[in-house]
Amino acid sequence: MTGAIELAGVTKTFGRIEALAPVDLVVEPGEIVTVLGPSGSGKTTLLRIVGGLDEPTAGTVTVAGASPHIARSAKRIGFVPQSPALLPWRTVAANARLLLDVNRSRPTAGPDPVDLLAEVGLAPFADAYPHELSGGMQQRVALVRAMALGAPLLLMDEPFAALDEITRTDMRHLLARLCEPLATTVLFVTHSIAESVFISDRVVVLSARPGRIVGVESVDLARPRHPSLEDDPAFFAVETRLRALLHEGAGR
Amino acid sequence: MTTRRIVLAGLAGIAVFGGLWELYVRLFDVQRYILLPPSTIVGELVGHPRLYLDAVLVTARHAAVGTAISLVVAVLIGAVLASSRWLEQAAQPVLIGILVAPWVAYFTSIVLWLGSGDWPVVFLVAFVTTPAFVFATVAGMRSADPAARELLASVDAGRVEIMRRLRLPSALPSILSSARYTVGLALAAAYYGEGGNLAASGLGYLGRRSGGAGSQNAEVLWATILATVALGVLFLGALSGIERVALRWHVSQRDRARHGTG
Repeated sequence: MTGAIELAGVTKTFGRIEALAPVDLVVEPGEIVTVLGPSGSGKTTLLRIVGGLDEPTAGTVTVAGASPHIARSAKRIGFVPQSPALLPWRTVAANARLLLDVNRSRPTAGPDPVDLLAEVGLAPFADAYPHELSGGMQQRVALVRAMALGAPLLLMDEPFAALDEITRTDMRHLLARLCEPLATTVLFVTHSIAESVFISDRVVVLSARPGRIVGVESVDLARPRHPSLEDDPAFFAVETRLRALLHEGAGR
Repeated sequence: MTTRRIVLAGLAGIAVFGGLWELYVRLFDVQRYILLPPSTIVGELVGHPRLYLDAVLVTARHAAVGTAISLVVAVLIGAVLASSRWLEQAAQPVLIGILVAPWVAYFTSIVLWLGSGDWPVVFLVAFVTTPAFVFATVAGMRSADPAARELLASVDAGRVEIMRRLRLPSALPSILSSARYTVGLALAAAYYGEGGNLAASGLGYLGRRSGGAGSQNAEVLWATILATVALGVLFLGALSGIERVALRWHVSQRDRARHGTG
């Protein structure tokens, strides 16, 4: 059986800067995997390579057995960027539909964006414009926009990094609730330990630049995960192990 | 401010300016070949409504058609230039050249080339307004959110689709704001062209035929100036209306509306 994502010996250099040391990673279908690392560890680069937005300098990448470009043009990747990147001239509902409107000839079989908006509590704002929303609400629209594709793979690039702590916590609870019932594979990039533990099946820890995998931690916490989990000693235990790995990766 | 209050404030400004002008001419007994009082100019307009209305319509058509052509051409050129820094740099001197070259010097050549009638005037209007629209298009398209471009790339959007869904709407605010400047330029070019295109129509033609400010027909010249100004104000008013509808979402139109929640 092929993995949803397979990376073999992937490296990336920008000019003379080595961003990624050889990275090998297999993500199984339906798995939620977080890439955790300090700023500049190349985690965004890794995500962009998986999404076919960047070419690896060496090594091979496959998404569902094919090249990322094939997955991209078949609209089989739902991408959630760091900033919500909502189009200010489109309403919330129209922004949620944006990726469906592009390349309409290639069909998708995702959930109705209207239902998704309701699920994330934005039904009353369907006709509002992005500037009328708070940061957390904008990021929820960005989540809906990606999930509406019904793609088997979701790539998320620190989507909650710019939010305040409380909103950020709410967002990871929402994300877990949305993703758990799905068969979707999720690759999530973050520098927040709590975020990685709460949503993931496995956490991949990257070192400081050039990014290499310091360790992979399985998160054997029961699903569905409820917000109360974050007060559980088992949750702290995983956090502690990840913190140790991060320190090891930083060379301290 | 409401539209009504904006219009009232504008009218008050015109009344005060016109009043001071009238007062100055009468008080200091200014010679008629230097300046006419506004009352005389308005009297001339009101006295020959048919003549001036016909001329206004001709000039309005020249300016509007020329601007529309220039807008389409400029967006096409701008889209190409926005895709390459090198092309943009290469086009820069030519565009600036068009912008600053004196019409007086080359308009005769345009008339000889295109013949008399509407086309040389429309061509002149389109030609001189194109650079400003190109600059605005390039700057606006470049301002498109890079994250949104990545997002569209993640579903393999083609160039045309990125243009239509992202770059063109991103350029709309700067194109519309450059249109405020272009309106004046277009009217000036239309007026000038009508004076020299050998066709007997338009405000520019009337102004030229009057023989100038020092002639017996100074009223006619001043009346065409005032009519051109009125036309410009009308165009700018229409432009504001377009901005209000087309840029509802833009920062520039938001001051009266609701704000984000933080």
